Amino acid sequence: MALKDIKSKIQATQRTHKVTKAMEAVSAVKMRKTQQAALAGRPYARAALSILARLSGSVHLSEHPLAEERNVKRAALVIITSDKGLAGSVNSGVIKAAVEALAESLPREEVTVYAFGKKGEEYFARRGYRVAEAFENKRDDVPRSVVKRFTKDLTEAFAAGEYDEVLVAYSRFRSTFEQVPTVHRLLPLSLESVTQLVQDIVPQKGKWSELRAPASPMEYLVEGAYEDVLDAVIPRLVSASLYHLLLESKASEHSARMVAMKNASDKSKEVTQDLTRKYNKARQAAITREVSEIVGGREALAT
Amino acid sequence: MAKAFHLTIARIGENVFDDEAVSLTLPGSEGMMTVLADHEPFISELAVGEARFEAADGKHYHIPVREGGVIEISHNQATVLL
Repeated sequence: MALKDIKSKIQATQRTHKVTKAMEAVSAVKMRKTQQAALAGRPYARAALSILARLSGSVHLSEHPLAEERNVKRAALVIITSDKGLAGSVNSGVIKAAVEALAESLPREEVTVYAFGKKGEEYFARRGYRVAEAFENKRDDVPRSVVKRFTKDLTEAFAAGEYDEVLVAYSRFRSTFEQVPTVHRLLPLSLESVTQLVQDIVPQKGKWSELRAPASPMEYLVEGAYEDVLDAVIPRLVSASLYHLLLESKASEHSARMVAMKNASDKSKEVTQDLTRKYNKARQAAITREVSEIVGGREALAT
Repeated sequence: MAKAFHLTIARIGENVFDDEAVSLTLPGSEGMMTVLADHEPFISELAVGEARFEAADGKHYHIPVREGGVIEISHNQATVLL
């Protein structure tokens, strides 16, 4: 390779390095922000859960339309992915988990897909699933109004019997280096699945750090009917769960991107080093050749 | 000074208030009501309106209740979900 080519290649690699380095830093900041947001949402989920747990002593939760177990004939899948790529295997992992969960139970005609994020939408639309609604997932925060409306749509459809089950495929945030693609059953609501979800939220210092035991159900003075209170609590819990799942997916996306970009930066550094060595060698070879040509020429003249 | 109780007011993704309070006035499903310390265990749905409360430090707060909510009281601890 000519000297000039190597040089331009080195410069190109260095430019890539700069870009990936910047993306790494940006993702790190965004990850921290989403984690904080996830923590801020925890007291709400906790409180709603403990109200529900205490109420469950007085009323049968399973009688509520949103907690009713039915034979699953039709299902809705909420797939949470990112809009942009360059984030390692986060999206493909989530999609794979979702497809596996569906393949076990249902033919694809009976599945309705709601997609948060372009990657998931593209995948399922291309494979002939019915994509009922697609949301952008570009922003760094999760817009509450969207979550609220979406929860309403889902719960109404479930109560009306349009779906017998609502699954959410998302990426669970374990740590910066570990994200687990997970499929969570949002509806029918069960106390266990919500408890699990709330426990998974990263521990926070202070009052909410230990899971306040949803204390023994006791007698409550209730204004209005138990059913009315349940009607108010359950949709809120669904909404809080969904909000949390979205946030967690975001945190996963950002941390996966951060790690991917870190690897890319390291690699580009390595490539730059290799190329620089190659460049020096080629330059030295050229100089040696020129010197020997001059010497050779001189000797030819002298004789 | 009046006895205080712990009050948590939370919205999805946001903790509005989480501290000691002295009194809390809310639009319950059957009219306005005021909660003081050592209230008996109680649950109610909230109607649309405004929640007012006085924190232990004497400050008064007004928080709109736009889409209803739930209040739960037990063990001298009130939790309001908006």
